Amino acid sequence: MHIPDGLIAPQTYLAAFAVAAPAWAWSVRRVARDFDDRMIPRLAVLTALAFVLTTVMIPLPGGTSGHLVGVGLLALAFGLWPAFLAYSLVLALSALLFGAGGITSLAINALCMGLIGAAVTLGIHRLIQPWKSSVAVVVSVWAGVVVSALLVALVLGVQPLMGRDDSGQPLFFPFGPAVTIPVLVIPHALIGLGEGLLTWLALSALDRRKVPA
Amino acid sequence: MRDRLLLSMWMVAVVAITFIHDPLWLAVLLIVVLVLAGSDRLAILKGALIAIALVNVAVSAGYAISAGVSGEPWLDFVVRLNLRVLLLTVLTLWLSRHLDLVKAVDFSPSLKFVIVLTIGQIKTMQRLLIDYRQAFASRSPARPSLRDRMASSGRQTLALLDKAEHQATELNQGMRSRGFFDDRAQ
Repeated sequence: MHIPDGLIAPQTYLAAFAVAAPAWAWSVRRVARDFDDRMIPRLAVLTALAFVLTTVMIPLPGGTSGHLVGVGLLALAFGLWPAFLAYSLVLALSALLFGAGGITSLAINALCMGLIGAAVTLGIHRLIQPWKSSVAVVVSVWAGVVVSALLVALVLGVQPLMGRDDSGQPLFFPFGPAVTIPVLVIPHALIGLGEGLLTWLALSALDRRKVPA
Repeated sequence: MRDRLLLSMWMVAVVAITFIHDPLWLAVLLIVVLVLAGSDRLAILKGALIAIALVNVAVSAGYAISAGVSGEPWLDFVVRLNLRVLLLTVLTLWLSRHLDLVKAVDFSPSLKFVIVLTIGQIKTMQRLLIDYRQAFASRSPARPSLRDRMASSGRQTLALLDKAEHQATELNQGMRSRGFFDDRAQ
């Protein structure tokens, strides 16, 4: 789902960095406070976990598969700020170590998926916690994935407004929300369902074995 | 110092490139970067083309068709988008081959430790995931059902969560026993 480099206008990604910077500072403070001297090993392991989770396949009908985003699982297991920080580090490391993903779009991806996606998952999970636990996990993770996809679609969809050349051709991503929203949200509604089921399978197994998360 | 400088220069270059809209300038910069990449240039170019192919072909073809049908110009956009994305990807792949990230962030001991530990943990967890996948494949003589594939992915995810929990505790104890936190407290 995440946006690569070169498609987003500087006025969008620089604004996203301005919003993300205080969120990163706050998350470092929160994680340091909550984990005290366990912060470094815990954050390293969570970041590695977030990285590797994105390579777990979500089986889809018809023999196809998607990839886990993993943010919902991290948020439900470890909380909002560790999930956001770990996911942001994953995006940075993917670009710097493996040349994958985008560095200009890092803040947008981190905010849409790592922060807002995780917050939506946790918020909805809190609201519907009295429901059956499997339903609460699946619905909240699904909502987090879909809202993240919707936000990414909206960010991409406003790019045609960010500038055109003399002949009227767009300078950045060319399609508006009428195209980006269905193209991104519809497949992620299906992927989100798979991600929700997978998250519930993992968390319920953890609960049964009473391994502290 | 070299790595920190390299990282800073790359960040400035990446941002600057997004302000360039003239396809000619983007093409010149791409040639310069490829020339400077030396003997790695073909491998980097191939890696970049593979990395960007799916998104760029979809966006370029989609725009060319929709603009073509309505009789609007589209060539400049397609050339500009592909050159810009290719240039940024080539630059990033080149950096990933030459940058020692640990040295680049050695101004912050905590960040340096997080990165060193993360890289090690990624390798450990990737090995675990490969073991699980190979075990599942070797125990599935016929094509597994959707339910079996979901159960297998669930077990992989659970194994990763378990591994993460154990590794975090183990690393913390290892660092504590070696006086890492005492050194930092002083």
